[in-house]
Amino acid sequence: MLCSNCGIKDANFHYKQVNGGKFTEIHLCTECARELGYIKDNESFFNIGSIFGDFFSVPKTVSSSPASLKCPSCSTSFDSVRRTGFLGCDKCYEVFAQPIEAMLAKIQPSTVHKGKLSGADGKKIERENTIRNLKEELKRAIIDENYEQAAVIRDKIKEYEKREDENNG
Amino acid sequence: MAKWFTDSGSQNDVVLSTRIRLARNLKGIAFPGKMTDDDALRVISLVDSALGEMNYTFTKIDIPSLADAEKQKLVEERFISPAIAKSKQPCVAYISEDELVSIMVNEEDHIRIQCIYPGFEAQKALELIGRVDDYLSERLDYAMHEKYGYLTSCLTNVGTGMRISYMLHLPATVMSGAADSIFATLGKLGITVRGMYGEGTKSVGNIFQISNQTTLGRSENEIASAVSEAISSVIAKERELQTKLSEKNGIVLEDKILRSYAILKSARIMQSKEMMELLSDVRLGLSLGFIDDTDYTVLNNIMITASPAHISADLKCATATDRDVTRAEMIRKAF
Repeated sequence: MLCSNCGIKDANFHYKQVNGGKFTEIHLCTECARELGYIKDNESFFNIGSIFGDFFSVPKTVSSSPASLKCPSCSTSFDSVRRTGFLGCDKCYEVFAQPIEAMLAKIQPSTVHKGKLSGADGKKIERENTIRNLKEELKRAIIDENYEQAAVIRDKIKEYEKREDENNG
Repeated sequence: MAKWFTDSGSQNDVVLSTRIRLARNLKGIAFPGKMTDDDALRVISLVDSALGEMNYTFTKIDIPSLADAEKQKLVEERFISPAIAKSKQPCVAYISEDELVSIMVNEEDHIRIQCIYPGFEAQKALELIGRVDDYLSERLDYAMHEKYGYLTSCLTNVGTGMRISYMLHLPATVMSGAADSIFATLGKLGITVRGMYGEGTKSVGNIFQISNQTTLGRSENEIASAVSEAISSVIAKERELQTKLSEKNGIVLEDKILRSYAILKSARIMQSKEMMELLSDVRLGLSLGFIDDTDYTVLNNIMITASPAHISADLKCATATDRDVTRAEMIRKAF
């Protein structure tokens, strides 16, 4: 989950509060939590739990600041990715998936590839993307009660899935 | 087909060349910025075998073993980038027999395929580079992502990995003071303007490289069309401004252009920067019809073959003055 304030870093400060009978949740990165006054300077967020009691939760998966998070394959740190925009290997795209999505949204017009994908892997991804898009279209057609169109889309999906099975087989 | 600068191309009065490059990486191998020399050698060997089967002949060049002037010569001819010329790790370039395609291995990405045509030729360049890329993709395991497409070392290249870049000569745009506002408009359209040798280089002789800034979210054809459309407007504007300049200051402009031509034809010592400025005047003179006894390919050819590294590499000139004397002699012979 990304910080709801800066939208770039992973949120590792999660704050829940009940205000006027309304339950709200805030998810921030350490820096933003400090800037917005949720954490005092020089105070680690791990100590905050005792202050905020049960309303504060730190996810067990976060053991350190995301800046020091490293790709296990090439040891590139998130801090370096954030500073330079350079990644060390294809695995980095999985390891830093969330911040990369946010960074791409800032520097590219869209975060979805629209061009060609060549080779066997590319063809497979193209087929999967087509099936996923058709399934979305099918859902919309059903919601709109456009059953005739839904039937056409369903047949297309079956055709693509059959082709995929043949390729896998 | 010969080198891009020795052949004529469409709209050559303003467009010197059209270049497209694709950035590709191999799955499971660290990108060049993080790779070991063994990784680098492995990538070279994989590309070597993939290209070996192709019915399109390439010459392989081991970059680190070249002398500095030879590397710079390839940079000046735009077959390799300034970055790979400086690289210390194992890296190679393949140049196709027809000199339209070059492939750099272990530059910023494992593979950079580049296609360069003289003049305004986006469609031809897209088709040829597409064929080379498709061929390699059948034989190499490209790193790709179901949402982001081709994965690259830098986030600015993700998706298509494509950069289409036009080299333009825009003297009237510069002289009339319209360059800043035109370039700012291009910037808003996601189009970048750089100097002759790309990133971080200045414009010399009114020559600019104009290319797309973003690579994700639009198809290769959409990117090429968007940049080409913008370039068409820049070309039209340049021609319109040239006509206006000529109408307003006809005799003054003609005098300046013919003086520049005379200097090129008779000088005994010629520095590179001065040559580029004078060639720019002569090119404008050709466009406006003040000069009719030479052509654009002669100008392109001088611009590249009389560049500093070409003279150093080919003629082994010892001093800067030797180079300038040789350059002046080459230019006189060309005219």
